[in-house]
Amino acid sequence: MSVAQSNKPVAASFWNDSGKKGIGSWIFSTDHKRIGLLYLYSVLGFFLVGVVLGLLLRIELMAPGRTIMGAATYNALFTVHGVVMIFLFIIPGIPASFGNLVMPIQIGARDVAFPKLNLFSWWLYAIGAVIVLTSLFSGGGAPDTGWTFYVPFSARTGTNVSLAVFGVFVLGFSSILTGINFVTTIHRLRAEGMNWGRLPLFVWSLYATAWVQILATPIIAITLVLVIAERVLGTGLFDPGRGGDPIMFQHLFWIYSHPAVYIMILPAMGVISEIIPVFSRKPIFGYKMIAFSSIAIAGAGSLVWGHHMYTSGMSDTAVMVFSFLTFIVAIPSAIKVFNWITTLYKGSISLEAPMLFALSFILLFSIGGLSGLILGAAGTDVHVHDTHFVVGHFHYVMFGGTGFAFFGAAHYWLPKFYGRRYREKPAIVGWALMFVGFNMTYWTMQVLGMRGMPRRYYDYLPEFANLNLVATVGSWILATGLIIVVVNLWRGLFWGEPFGVNPWNGATLEWTVATPPPTENFEEDPVVTHAPYDFNKGVGIP
Amino acid sequence: MEIVAGQKRGRALSVWAVLLLMLSIGSAAPVAASASVLSGAAARQSEEGATQVGVDERLGGKLPLDLTFRDETGRTVRLGDLITGPTIILPVYYGCTNVCNYMQGGLARVLPEIKNKPGTDYRILSLSIDETEGPELAAKYQKMYLSSIKASVPPGAWHFLTGDAASIKKFTDAAGYRFQRRGRDFMHPVASFVVAGDGMIVRYLYGTSFLAKDLTLALVEARQGRIGTTIRKVVGYCFSFDPASKSYEFNLLRVSATVILLCCGSFFAFLVLTGKKGKRKPVGEK
Repeated sequence: MSVAQSNKPVAASFWNDSGKKGIGSWIFSTDHKRIGLLYLYSVLGFFLVGVVLGLLLRIELMAPGRTIMGAATYNALFTVHGVVMIFLFIIPGIPASFGNLVMPIQIGARDVAFPKLNLFSWWLYAIGAVIVLTSLFSGGGAPDTGWTFYVPFSARTGTNVSLAVFGVFVLGFSSILTGINFVTTIHRLRAEGMNWGRLPLFVWSLYATAWVQILATPIIAITLVLVIAERVLGTGLFDPGRGGDPIMFQHLFWIYSHPAVYIMILPAMGVISEIIPVFSRKPIFGYKMIAFSSIAIAGAGSLVWGHHMYTSGMSDTAVMVFSFLTFIVAIPSAIKVFNWITTLYKGSISLEAPMLFALSFILLFSIGGLSGLILGAAGTDVHVHDTHFVVGHFHYVMFGGTGFAFFGAAHYWLPKFYGRRYREKPAIVGWALMFVGFNMTYWTMQVLGMRGMPRRYYDYLPEFANLNLVATVGSWILATGLIIVVVNLWRGLFWGEPFGVNPWNGATLEWTVATPPPTENFEEDPVVTHAPYDFNKGVGIP
Repeated sequence: MEIVAGQKRGRALSVWAVLLLMLSIGSAAPVAASASVLSGAAARQSEEGATQVGVDERLGGKLPLDLTFRDETGRTVRLGDLITGPTIILPVYYGCTNVCNYMQGGLARVLPEIKNKPGTDYRILSLSIDETEGPELAAKYQKMYLSSIKASVPPGAWHFLTGDAASIKKFTDAAGYRFQRRGRDFMHPVASFVVAGDGMIVRYLYGTSFLAKDLTLALVEARQGRIGTTIRKVVGYCFSFDPASKSYEFNLLRVSATVILLCCGSFFAFLVLTGKKGKRKPVGEK
């Protein structure tokens, strides 16, 4: 990569220390930072693909009737948009990219516990992604089942579901391996003095996430194999005509896919827990409760999958139990939000780009979380089930939450690893456009859903036309902001002003090492003597 | 080169990681599936309870063995004299033009596939719930079914019983089998059950078709370990009864859920108990 030449590293940074050059020094590297960047570029690439697909979907919905595509194309596009965004971007998004980049340094390790396994994970991710992409252009064409692959339709449709599902299966392996790797790393490779009470909260969130990955991902893997068996061998497992049970598929699917939502959001919460104290110049309020709530979310979040299935015909008792458990999950989420806000109180707040993303995360995630309670309550869910309200809700949580945290993390940490920084003004303009466009798009969707507009149809009643136009224009504003943010980051990281060792004045270990960090991270193994947000004793104070 | 912990420990951990991965892939999915039982069972049961016809399972309950019926030869027989070992009991009525025939035919068809010998290892009793039917009709049906079986079944292995209304009522009440007369016909559940030698009901079987493995397992359970070999006992343990589909299914789900949870638990315990890390070489050394 040309990056290595354009940088002026102080020490032998990881950019040019491997002795090798060219693409091979990256795709066969076992350095966690290089693997983290491989993930970063991959997920960002797929994110942009997903964005383009999303924009096309919004253009189709701009006016009633056929606008730019027919029903079949629309079905395929929203499926691919979902599969790409969920399996290729948002699940590996923060944990695999920023987790790999930052976590080992934050705990004072020289690398993850299994560097080769780490590289293998990325390869599995790449192979899985290629298979998923191949499924779009081969066989019967792109899957049209929605990203949930619900039977019986997924067992019967002539589109290329089997291959897509196999790709997702491979991606699952990548996720499990990363989970095992991170859990082991956090247990075994912490530096001297880095006890559990001094772990940065981002590490805590990755730890909780990793356990969810280890426990839940195998379930989706097997479920997807069963779908392939259903299609290829006609096993009839999900076919009531042959003694099977279609609801069993939904149970199996959501037993993974709901915890997967926490795989997506927990690391994002970890990012916010890093940014808020640094840009408030105040130790985080309620460190223990935030760490505990990550574990609590991972635990309780594994028991609520049934809330996706209130209208599926499962028993009323199960509906009530799942509804109750869903309300329980709101508690640890609220603990985090309240603690972040309390941290801001009387803090010396500096509104730089990472902080703006973090603050907007709190607002957007809260809106998404509260609309989630409307869906979690069994009664109200029946009214808005399978409407645009659901689409609005999960975009608030996933994009407004994890997406904004992803860009917050990018502005916060990437300059450290590139040694150069972005320009502040375009970052803020981009953020502002994203924020406005985002709310225009997805708030409008929630209103549309409340009024009864169903999801997953390319056409709708004329009465929904105005609001749909608003949402589509919003998506253009959002995309404009996104382009500004990405271009500004790209320009800045490669050609921007040099970035010092610790300009943000962070107190966690990554701010003690050289910029960009050397291959094995530390000149000497660090000894940790203070809490991660103790700015008075902080190693980061210049 | 970047493996920073000691090589040995790293290798041990890798083995753990791979083991965990394999086990989790192979088995975790089913953790979930046991939950699917939540979905339909309750609803289906309430549907059944809503009608006067149905089955209230009395598993573990005992049939009154001193009831007397008449067999196909007209002889009066005590139930206890017929139920001396594992016994499959089919409540039917011989004049039935519908499912009773299918059920008995279904049983006749599957008998050659069962390794246990009828007559010596187990016995079958068809019992008419119609008090107006007599031994003559029963004998006709015995002849018909026995000749349809593609294996030799001694006449003493499958009796066709009839009896008076009071005995029938006592018998079906004890089994939780609820039926109603409709003119010359009956509304009744399509169910049979397997009892042990002491008259204890061990399993209900539903529907008109039987699977050899279902029956064999039910007979193994009925035998209560007197004849069943060790392997059969293991099988009897791994297979359980799914109340939703009312048929046996291999409970891979529960078994593997246990396996994965144990693996993750021991992985966690291993990480916690074996300390933090090995001694590290100074930075820069490979």
